[in-house]
Amino acid sequence: MSAPARTPAGAPGHLTGPAGGGIGTDAQRPDGTLKVRGEFAYGSDLWMEDMLWGVTLRSPHPYARIRSIDVGPALAVPGVHAVLTSDDVPGAKAYGLELADQPVLAVDVVRYQGEPVALVAADHPETARAAAARIVVDYEVWEPVTDAIAALGHPRWNAVHEDDAEVTELSRESAHLHPEGNLVRHLKVRTGDPSPTADVVVVNTYEVGMQDQAFLGPESGLAVPAEDGGVELYVATQWLHVDQRQICSALGLPPEQVRLTLAGVGGAFGGREDLSMHVHACLLALRTGRPVKMSYNREESFFGHVHRHPATMRYEHGATRDGDLVYVKAEIYFDGGAYASSTPAVVGNGGTMGIGPYVVPNVHVDCYGAYTNNPPCGAMRGFGSVQTAFAYESQMDALAAALGMDPVELRCRNAMEQGSTAITGQVIDSPAPVVELLRRLEAMPMPDAAPDDLRHMPGGVSNTTHGEGVRRGVGYAVSYKNVAFSEGFDDYSTARVRLEVVGGEPVATVHTAAAEVGQGLVTVEQQIARTELGVDRVVVHPKDTQVGSAGSTSASRQTYVTGGAVKAACEAVRGQVLARAAELTGRPVGELRLFDGAVVGEGLELPLAEVLGDDAVEETLEWRHRPTEAIDPETGQGFAHVQYAFSAHRAVVDVDTELGLVKVVEMACTQDVGKAINPQAVIGQIQGGTAQGLGLAVMEEILIRDGKVQNPSFTDYLIPTILDMPPMRIEVLEYADPHAPYGLRGVGEAPNISSGPAVLAAIRQATGLPLTRVPVRPEHLTGT
Amino acid sequence: MKPFAFARPADAAEAVATVATEPRAVFLAGGTNLVDHLKLGVARPDLVVDVRRLTSREITDTADGGLRIGAAVTNSELAADRRVRERYPVLAQALLAGATGQLRNLATTGGNPLQRTRCVYFQDVSTPCNKREPGSGCSAVGGYTRYHAILGTSAALPDPTAPETCIATHPSDMAVALAVLDAQVQVLGPAGARTIPFAELHRLPGDDPSRDTVLEHGELITAIDLPPLPAGARSAYRKVRDRASYAFALVSVAAVVADGEVRLALGGVAHKPWRASRAEEALRGGPVADDAVRHAMDVELTTAQPQPGVDGGNGFKIPLVTRTVVATVRDLTQETQA
Amino acid sequence: MRLTCTVNGSPQQVDDVWEGESLLYVLRERMGLPGSKNACEQGECGSCTVYLDGTPVCSCLVAAGQAEGREIGTVEGMATEESLHPVQQAFLDAGAVQCGFCTPGLLVATDDLVTRSLAAGAPPEDAEIREALAGNLCRCTGYEKILDAVKLAAQRMAAR
Repeated sequence: MSAPARTPAGAPGHLTGPAGGGIGTDAQRPDGTLKVRGEFAYGSDLWMEDMLWGVTLRSPHPYARIRSIDVGPALAVPGVHAVLTSDDVPGAKAYGLELADQPVLAVDVVRYQGEPVALVAADHPETARAAAARIVVDYEVWEPVTDAIAALGHPRWNAVHEDDAEVTELSRESAHLHPEGNLVRHLKVRTGDPSPTADVVVVNTYEVGMQDQAFLGPESGLAVPAEDGGVELYVATQWLHVDQRQICSALGLPPEQVRLTLAGVGGAFGGREDLSMHVHACLLALRTGRPVKMSYNREESFFGHVHRHPATMRYEHGATRDGDLVYVKAEIYFDGGAYASSTPAVVGNGGTMGIGPYVVPNVHVDCYGAYTNNPPCGAMRGFGSVQTAFAYESQMDALAAALGMDPVELRCRNAMEQGSTAITGQVIDSPAPVVELLRRLEAMPMPDAAPDDLRHMPGGVSNTTHGEGVRRGVGYAVSYKNVAFSEGFDDYSTARVRLEVVGGEPVATVHTAAAEVGQGLVTVEQQIARTELGVDRVVVHPKDTQVGSAGSTSASRQTYVTGGAVKAACEAVRGQVLARAAELTGRPVGELRLFDGAVVGEGLELPLAEVLGDDAVEETLEWRHRPTEAIDPETGQGFAHVQYAFSAHRAVVDVDTELGLVKVVEMACTQDVGKAINPQAVIGQIQGGTAQGLGLAVMEEILIRDGKVQNPSFTDYLIPTILDMPPMRIEVLEYADPHAPYGLRGVGEAPNISSGPAVLAAIRQATGLPLTRVPVRPEHLTGT
Repeated sequence: MKPFAFARPADAAEAVATVATEPRAVFLAGGTNLVDHLKLGVARPDLVVDVRRLTSREITDTADGGLRIGAAVTNSELAADRRVRERYPVLAQALLAGATGQLRNLATTGGNPLQRTRCVYFQDVSTPCNKREPGSGCSAVGGYTRYHAILGTSAALPDPTAPETCIATHPSDMAVALAVLDAQVQVLGPAGARTIPFAELHRLPGDDPSRDTVLEHGELITAIDLPPLPAGARSAYRKVRDRASYAFALVSVAAVVADGEVRLALGGVAHKPWRASRAEEALRGGPVADDAVRHAMDVELTTAQPQPGVDGGNGFKIPLVTRTVVATVRDLTQETQA
Repeated sequence: MRLTCTVNGSPQQVDDVWEGESLLYVLRERMGLPGSKNACEQGECGSCTVYLDGTPVCSCLVAAGQAEGREIGTVEGMATEESLHPVQQAFLDAGAVQCGFCTPGLLVATDDLVTRSLAAGAPPEDAEIREALAGNLCRCTGYEKILDAVKLAAQRMAAR
């Protein structure tokens, strides 16, 4: 029996928005008017008259055994309706995207600071918080494992390239945090000569700090118990169906009884790919029989989602005197923190993308992901590639310096192009205009030499720099990122499209489960339906689990994969409509098409109302991109990736070398997007991604001390403001990928990958300092 | 958040009397710091007394040629006042270097100098902190120290477990400017009115890091007076921080250069706005070329104690503050000559 | 306690407000006006920006009791039933809205900036816009289209 629960205020409705605008136009967002009116409901805006508030009690220790938990004092607080621990989890006690290793609520042991231990539901959020503070947890505190390399028992820089690192005996630093040990994944790439030599060799070690997604809308949602014993969950997330699978497993309920609807999402950037409050709110709702809302504050948000993996990377590049790359050896360590999350995929990308868009005959890469007691790390925009790009692009600059070559020349000389072979052995079978991206950047005009306004100097409005000691630098970097899910994953999306005539006007309705997180997928869905069905009015159905999976809103894949599904479903609908029209008119289907609300053919214009009458034509189908395959575990060879994204940045910076202040004067970006479905949204992705890369280069880092986060607030974790972001010059290239719908290429991640390394290169050029760690801080630039 | 009562007295005298009789009462003005601390559990009063409308919101000329600023004047209003911009640019610049428009619209003249440290451990009630919970210890030692003190700390090498240890800094930009301007603080208390020189308002941690100022319980700032600067004096505020705006100072400098006199106050380096008296003394009457200023700062910083920390510690502040002072004084001197 | 104030021109009275609640909480949870957003609740992001007696402030740092008797303007009060406010329309036209969580606060801050600038005789310049909006964090757009939107709004409002 499907028993519909009551609908909360703020439950999403059908989006209509302004009519018109097929693919290739700047069609406006269907949710835009709601958003500017303040009427668009995010997860934290959901509301029901009798709802309770749920809060989470989290571990203050990064590693400890739980001796006992006494919930009695919390239950005694007036207004408290439930207090739950792991004993109250009816199904599987652990969940995870790839490995189910993360407890819903801690079982006996906590492995990171902030791990959820208990839950409280009460009638006011402050009551719930006060009650949670009264839960008594007796911890036996253990010393945390905090270094990824030590956690694997590896010496700090093993003799690379001989054999796999030998695990030495277990020490405290490498005590096993999970039954199978601390290695989450080790990826190897081996091509060409195992012992290559070269005229010029550069070796360096790089570090990338832990970045936070810092989406503005904190984790939030509302669980409503249903009469059938199931639950409706309205939640801000990135992948409804993978959430549903994990929630069902924890609740011990079948999918029919766990129904998810996407609430408004205030940004995601990977941070919502894992569960946060999902199961917790459902547990509390099912226990109390009341709707339960959970909404993290900013501090809790820092503990409530995974972060970008910090990385330590040792690279060795060898080249001929003329500047041809001979070999690259790389050892890459990702600190995955306490639970696996997306670490296997991060290692996959880091290893297979890890030398950048260059052709290298001899490659030896070892890429590791490790468990530690640091905060769990997982998906964030461009993962695996963002970290390695800092290393490989810094190496290209170092090599250029060693060779006395121009850094752009060196890149162009070794750049991939269509037909090149990647280090996985895959032939790049679509355009790879790396050289053109760089040459176009070089050709762009440079910003004015000296700022006319003190506010544009390093230090901005702080009146800090008056031109003394200011040096300018210019840097270039290129990104290289696999689009969509790789390594044999069955990557598909589902679309349901209906066409009907309402009030005399043809209307298409698109229903997918693809999460709109701000990027504008709902606009793209409308644009595709308009183009394929020749109608102006397209309605976007709320995103929910009443239709099949769309896969994740990540890996730059939704426009490609869900876009592909919507296109295919539209084609199926169109086929039916044209078949009917053919029957009505006696014309062959091949002579008919849909245009402007009518079936048209030579000398024929038959309004859809006459073809459809009161009928609706509906099609639901799954669509897949061409399959990829697992790579060989010993050599890293295989058809791992379906598509690649390329972008390049030129950064111009002014550095006050006395005070260590950086002003990014201008960012320029070129990107090949195959086909810009919505040019304005493409530019928005490039600008936003550029800002996140710039942030990682010069200010963003979660600081950890003995496994504990030191700066979980926007006071101490700084992200760029409008004063930190410079004007941008952008050129978008459209070289179609023949394998992709409309020839399009995933857009979102690439600009986040190349911007940071370009800024770093520019600062390096301005200061002459080696700078092998990001973020760069003032004290790294003043020689103090 | 701990429950508390909320009172809206009719005038300042009633407010003072109300707070004086309730040991766990606090004044609430703009709220930008206190409301946050209520949420965080850093402040746990029984009674909150709203004084926002109870003191003057006027800026008036004083007989000696200075200005009297009512305690309720907002930071935005103060920074925009023509007399302040023309006569005390250091103050207008410091105000605009702090926080954001939305916060400056709330923050008041009386409240801003009384804001509490932004030390992350002070704000995190799950960690020991002598300022928040006297005797519990100091979590900042060896921790996240880039916003922490190098001057005036309680010991040369602080013991994190000692009850007097505190390496917090005072976060206000405005207060650094007020320190260099020799402002006077008008206070109304249970025992009547008194005047406190701004330089004496804030304390070093000493043996009681929980006390930021010399104000007694129930004492309310009603106005701040700015004495006139010498004729021809130039002043400026400079702030070095981790991003272009909306961040606290790593170091900051408020400087006044007049004929034969250099006045300097430093922010981000100590538990209080730090008047660099030794450097001022070293520069008195002499030339103010870069070398002399650098030397004067060396004198000032002889007792500086860099703190180790997770991201490399804060030793970088020593050269950074010197360079900031040198550049600021250089510009003011060149302006004066020009 | 009881709180009486004016919100978007209409008198409002709510009972049983807890002293510890912020103006933001009262607007969102007690008055059914969730348009002002709660991204940090510490005055560090600007997403909760509202007008308080005509001046933009972070409503998360205003104690409920301090709103007594005052006039509050939120994003919900900008548009009419029929048409959007020019600042709202400009944000849509310029593509300055992505996830939209920062948008309500930015709209109020922008309205304040443009209104003040035009009253002073000129639309805001880039440097002024950046300075005025530095208290509003956005994680999606990289700010460039927000800058475009502010200029577009100023141009349209000047023409009115």
